[in-house]
Amino acid sequence: MKTQWIIATALATALALPASAQDKVKLVDVVELSGAGATAGTNWKNGIDLAVADINAKGGILGKQIEIVHYDTQTNPGNTRAAVQRAIDEGTYAVLGPVFSGPIGASMQIAQRAEIAQLVGGEAAGLTKQGNQFLFRTSLSQTAAMPKIANYLKNTVKAGSVAVVWVNNDFGKGGRDAIIPELEKAGIKVAADVATEQGQADFAADAIKIKNSNADAVFVYLNEEESARFLRAAKQQGITKPMVGETTLLGAKVIELAGEAANGVRGHVGLSIDAPIPAFQEFGKKFQAKYNYASDHNGLKGYMAVYMVKWATEKQKKFDKKGVADTLRGATIKPSDEPGILMETTIEENGDLDRESFLAEVINGKQVINATLPKIRP
Amino acid sequence: MSAPATQPATNGRLTASPRLARLPGIAGTIDGTFLTLVIGAAILWFAPVGMGRYGTYVLSLWLVMSIAVMGLNLTLGYAGLKSLAQAAFMGLGAYTTALLTTKAGVSWYAAFALSGLLTFAVGILLGFPALRVKAHYLAFVTLAFSTLIWLILRNEQWLTGGVFGISNINRPDFFGIKLFGALEFHRFVVAVTFILAVALWWLIRSPWGRAFTALRENPIRAASLGIDTRAYTLLAFAIGSAYAGFAGALYAPLVEFIDPSPFSLSQSFFLLLMVVAGGSGYLLGPFVGALLGVVLPEWLRFAGSLYLIIFASIVMLLLIACPQGVSGLLERAWAKLTGKRGDSR
Repeated sequence: MKTQWIIATALATALALPASAQDKVKLVDVVELSGAGATAGTNWKNGIDLAVADINAKGGILGKQIEIVHYDTQTNPGNTRAAVQRAIDEGTYAVLGPVFSGPIGASMQIAQRAEIAQLVGGEAAGLTKQGNQFLFRTSLSQTAAMPKIANYLKNTVKAGSVAVVWVNNDFGKGGRDAIIPELEKAGIKVAADVATEQGQADFAADAIKIKNSNADAVFVYLNEEESARFLRAAKQQGITKPMVGETTLLGAKVIELAGEAANGVRGHVGLSIDAPIPAFQEFGKKFQAKYNYASDHNGLKGYMAVYMVKWATEKQKKFDKKGVADTLRGATIKPSDEPGILMETTIEENGDLDRESFLAEVINGKQVINATLPKIRP
Repeated sequence: MSAPATQPATNGRLTASPRLARLPGIAGTIDGTFLTLVIGAAILWFAPVGMGRYGTYVLSLWLVMSIAVMGLNLTLGYAGLKSLAQAAFMGLGAYTTALLTTKAGVSWYAAFALSGLLTFAVGILLGFPALRVKAHYLAFVTLAFSTLIWLILRNEQWLTGGVFGISNINRPDFFGIKLFGALEFHRFVVAVTFILAVALWWLIRSPWGRAFTALRENPIRAASLGIDTRAYTLLAFAIGSAYAGFAGALYAPLVEFIDPSPFSLSQSFFLLLMVVAGGSGYLLGPFVGALLGVVLPEWLRFAGSLYLIIFASIVMLLLIACPQGVSGLLERAWAKLTGKRGDSR
C-alpha cells in the first residue's frame, strides 16, 4: 500500500512538473543597437538570439525556457546605466552586454552592487583591473592578445619596424597602449603612431603618413567600418607592406566592406566562424541561414555568453543569481560538458578569459586560419 | 530655430490666480509657474516610491538634463543667442566636479560651486565673440568651442582620463546623510533642481530678465531704452553656461562615470532640440523638452528596435504641428479654453 502511495506521489509530481516548466528565466541584453557601436552590438544581439533559440528548442535551462529582452544603449554611458538598472529592476538572471568598453565602465558598478553576473563583449584591458567580481569577458582581453601579435610580427612577419594606426576611442586607445610596450619588448621599432577618429570617412592622409614612415609592417586597430575604409585608402596609396591586425581587422564585416583591399590582411583572431573547429563553422552556417550575413566575432561572443550562463546554472543545479558569478569565476568550461561553449574556455579570477586563438589571413575575400595558438596557461 | 518675434517671453502668469497676483511683496510675485514648480517638486519627491531604481534613475537624469536645458533656454529662448556649446559646458562642469571630488578630495558642494563659477567665467569669455557675431556665425563660434572642449576631454588623458573616462565618482553627503541610494540621490537632485529653477524664475521676473527679453526682441530698441546690450548679452551667456556647469556637476555623481561622449557636439544639438521642442522662452519649457528627450525614448522601449524611429517621428510631427514647442501648444489650448490670451502677448 505504501508503495502505491509513493508511486502516486511521484506521478503527481511528474504531472505537476510541466506546469512549473512553464516558468521562464529572464535574461536582459543591454547592448549598442544604435550609435557608434551598432555594428558590433547587432552581431552580439543576433548571436544571443541564436543561442536562446537553440537552448529553448532543447528544453531550456534546468527545464525553464529563456525569455530574452534587448535594450538599446545608443552607445551612451548614461543610457547604458539606465538600461542595466532597468534589467536588474526587472529581475534579470544575468546581464548580457554591452560590447563597448566606455558603456561597460559606466554600468559595471550597478551589476556589481546587485551581485549579478555581467557578461560583456569589451576587450579594453582596464575593465578587469578594477576588482569587480561580477564582470566577465566573452573574449580575450587586449592584454592577452597583444603579446601574441608582437610575437607574430617579430617571428612570422619578421618586421623590424611597425607603423601603428588606431582609432581614438576606448577600444583603439586601449589596444594602442597595450601593443606599443609589447612591440618595444620584442625589439620592434614603432615607425609611426597614427591616431584616427571614430566615424572617420577619409583615411588618405593617414595612409600617406604610414607609407612615408616606410615601416616593415602596419598594425591596424580600428572599428569595423573604419578598418574597411582604411584598407581601401591604403590600397589606393599603394601600400604593399603587410597589414596586420587583431580579430576586428579580419572580421567578416571588414572583408565584405573592403572587398579586394582586404586580401592579404593577416593577424591574430580570438574568435572566428572560419576557425578549424567544427562547432564554430556550424555556428557560422546557422547564423548565415538565419540572418543572411556572416557573423563576426561579436556574434560568437554573444552566443557563448548565453551558454556561459547556462553552464553555470546547470553546474550549481539551481537558479541562483549570485551563484552564477561564483561558479564562473575560476572555472574551465569544456565543450564536452557544454557543447554551446564551442571551445575550451578558462575564466580567470578577475573575469578575463584564457583560451586558444588563431592566426589568420584573408585570401580571395575569405578568412583562412593558418595556425592555432595555445592557451597562455594550458 | 529662433523664437518668433511674437512669442511670449514668459507664460508664467498665464495660470496666475488674480488673488495671488494682488498680494503685496514677494507673495505678490508668486504665479502659476512658481506654483507648478512647487507642486512638481513635491510630486517628484514622492514619485519614485515603488518605481524601482531604474525609474528613479531616469527621473533624476531627466531633472539633470532639465537644468542644462534651462540654461540654454535662457541663452536662446530669452536672450536669443544660438549656442551649440551647452553640452561642452555641461562637460566642463562634470569633469570639474569629478576631478575635484575624486582626485583632490574636495567636497561635492564646493566642487558644484566651482563648476558653476568656472562655466560662468568661460561663458563670459565665450560671450565676447557673441557680441560681435550674430545668428549662424555665433553658432559656428560655439561649435568650434564645443569641438575644442571635446578634444581636450578626449586627448588630455593625464587630466581627464581620455577615452577611458573617470569612474567611481562618489555621490555627496547631506548633513551626514549618505546619498548613495537611488531614492536619496533623486530627492537631492529634486531639491537642487527646484532651487535652480526658482532662481531662474526670479531672474526672469527681475529687471535683468526683462532686459534679456528686450535684447531678444529688438536689440536696437533695447539699447535705445538704456539697456547695456553688451553686459546683458555676456550675462545671458554666462548664466546659461553656469546652469550647464551645475547640470554637469550633478550628472557626474548620478552616473558615477564620465567619458567625453555625452558632451560631444551632437549632444549640444540634442539639448537645442529639447529647448525648441519644449518651447523656447517658456520657463517650464525645459522640463517638457527634457521629458521628450530623456524620458520619451525610455517609454517607447516597448516598441523594440523601432523605438528610435517612433521617437524621431513624434518629434518631427510635434515641431511641424507646433513650432513653439509643447509649452506653446499648451498655452494655445489654455487660451482657447478660457478665452484669455497669454498676458505677455
